[in-house]
Formats: sequence, structure tokens, C-alpha cells
Amino acid sequence: MVTNPSTTDPGWEILARVAAGEVEAFSSLVEAHQQRLLRLCERLLGEAEEARDAVQEVFLKAYRKAASFHPQGQVYTWLYRIAVNHCLNRLRRRRLVQFTRLSPEPAEDVPAFDPPDGAPDPEAALVARRRWMATRKAIERLPAGQRAVLVLVRFEGMSYRQVAETLQITEGAVESRLFRAMRRLEAAQEEPLSQVSRGRGLT
Amino acid sequence: MNRRLEMDLMRLLHGELPPDRARELTARMAREPELADRYRRLEEGWQGLAAPPEAPAPPGFTGRVMAHVRAGAEEAGTTLSWSLAPTWVRAVAALALVAGLALGAGLGRTPVPASSPSSLSMVAGPPEGLGASFWTLVEDATAPAPAIPGAAAEAPR
Repeated sequence: MVTNPSTTDPGWEILARVAAGEVEAFSSLVEAHQQRLLRLCERLLGEAEEARDAVQEVFLKAYRKAASFHPQGQVYTWLYRIAVNHCLNRLRRRRLVQFTRLSPEPAEDVPAFDPPDGAPDPEAALVARRRWMATRKAIERLPAGQRAVLVLVRFEGMSYRQVAETLQITEGAVESRLFRAMRRLEAAQEEPLSQVSRGRGLT
Repeated sequence: MNRRLEMDLMRLLHGELPPDRARELTARMAREPELADRYRRLEEGWQGLAAPPEAPAPPGFTGRVMAHVRAGAEEAGTTLSWSLAPTWVRAVAALALVAGLALGAGLGRTPVPASSPSSLSMVAGPPEGLGASFWTLVEDATAPAPAIPGAAAEAPR
């Protein structure tokens, strides 16, 4: 969740040190934000492993842009914007690769999931994982822009205004994308399963 | 049901509707079961979207990221990153490229004087004393190409 930009953010100072050449100062920023960015990227990309790669790239981009960062808001909002744009680009590239292959997407097997040792309730973790897999399948059918808006509102708890700021679009565009996304999800729920597997592709 | 009304239902669900309009719509749903049913289905679909379970960052992730950053920092120090160049630099570079291409294309179309044969062709044929092969331009494609020493023996039949 994006917080009030008027509050002082210690991340600014870290970025200033990084911009001055203190590479190692950046690690505290990584420590502070990696968890939220991993979660965001997994929600957008659908895959934990790809999310890890994406977060690495996001931090590298942030590092390179540290010198040009203008402290107008929270560092996290800035990182968030880089992460969302990076994931959207990945999603678009992924669709392009699927298109140029001219072949159906590989079968979507639900990956094996081993609840971590010592998890308080492994069964609940498994159920949660299965629910997420079903959601993932549904939102993967959305165009990247609609998916981003849906994830930010539904899972990140952002308001339309915050989403508009993050994606640098209008609130009207947020509303419209979200509406179309919900329509598509509803239609998918009503579609027979055979059509669902055939109907994937570029949108 | 019209699109605006459906959008308002969605905004109501997301807590984005102004209070006056939210009260009005809630009162209307109490009177119109069809509208209430539509809202209920929207809500069910929305709540049915589940987030991935929280998982901690893998051990050593910070180190992995920092190794990536350090490698990227070194790379950036030795190469020019266009993505980081200011917009005006990229614009000037793009214009220079386009101008260069246009100039090149223009030169390629320079009219040949009328007294000269019009076509240009390339033949292989080194003047004496030069290497075994090189490209040269001759003005008349119909003119016999200079003889290449030893070429006759190797000519395909």
C-alpha cells in the first residue's frame, strides 16, 4: 500500500548515498523493500521464480536511476512504479514470444507445491496455493494493462487514484480497465472449460 | 443494465463511489432485486480472486540482488547506456541517424550525366599489381570486364 508522500522517507538518504557512489548502501534499500516487491511481481507475473528475476532487474534499474531520483514521494512508490512497468514489459514480451512461436502455449500444469517445513498449517497453505493457481489462470488471460490495474486494486489495496499515479494514467482509464477486466473474468467463469483452453492468445 | 450503472456498482464494491451516490445506489438495490443480484455476483467474483500465499524472500536473496547490482554497476561504468541518456541526447542521436540515412539514400540517387551510360555495375577485376579480387565500379555494364588473370581456367562450364 502506498503511504502518504508528505512523510519523510529514510530511503531518500540511502538513494543520495548510492548516487554519491556508495554502492553498498543500496543493500539496506533491498532489504527493506524486497519482500513487498517480490509479492507484487509474483502477483503480476504469476510465477515466483520469474518474480525473483524481475525483482533483481527492478533493483538494478533503481540503482541506475538513483542519481536522477527526485524526492517527491515515497521511495517505495517510486520502486513500485519501476516494478510495475518492468513486469508489464515482461508480460508484453511473453505474449510476443508466444505469438511468434505460432504454437499453442504449453500446457499449464499446476506446479508441485511443498509447504515449507514448520509451516503452521500445511494444509491451509496448500489450499491457499490452489486458490491462487486458479486465480492466476484467470488473470493470465487479461491484457497486461488490465491485469496490472486488477492486481494493484485487488491485491495491493490501492485506490483508483493511487493506481493512476503509479501507472501514470487517468483515473477514468483505471476504472475502464478494471471494468473490462472484471467483465472478462466473469465471461471466463461462464465459458466451458474447452473454450477456455482454446481461447487464449493475444488480446 | 447500462455500463455506467455497472461501473457505479463496481465503484461501490471498491469503496470508490462518493458517499451520496453510494447511499442512493444502496437504496436502489433494496428496491430492485435484479440490481442487488448483479452487485452480489460482482462481489463474489471479486472476493473469489485469491492472492498468492505470503512466502518469505529466499535465503541469500539480498546478496544475489547486490551481486547483480554490482555487476550492473561495473558494466554501466564501462559502456554508454542509452536508456539512461537524457531524452535530448537520444533525440539528437536519432535525428543524426535519420539524417545520415536520408543523405545516404540521396547520394545513391544522384543522377548520372546524360553523356554517360546510365547503369552502374560491379565487377571483380583487379588492376595489375593489386590483390586477387576487389570491387570496382564501371560506368558501362555492357563494356567487357577487365580480364582476370587465371580466371578463364577457373570459369564454370
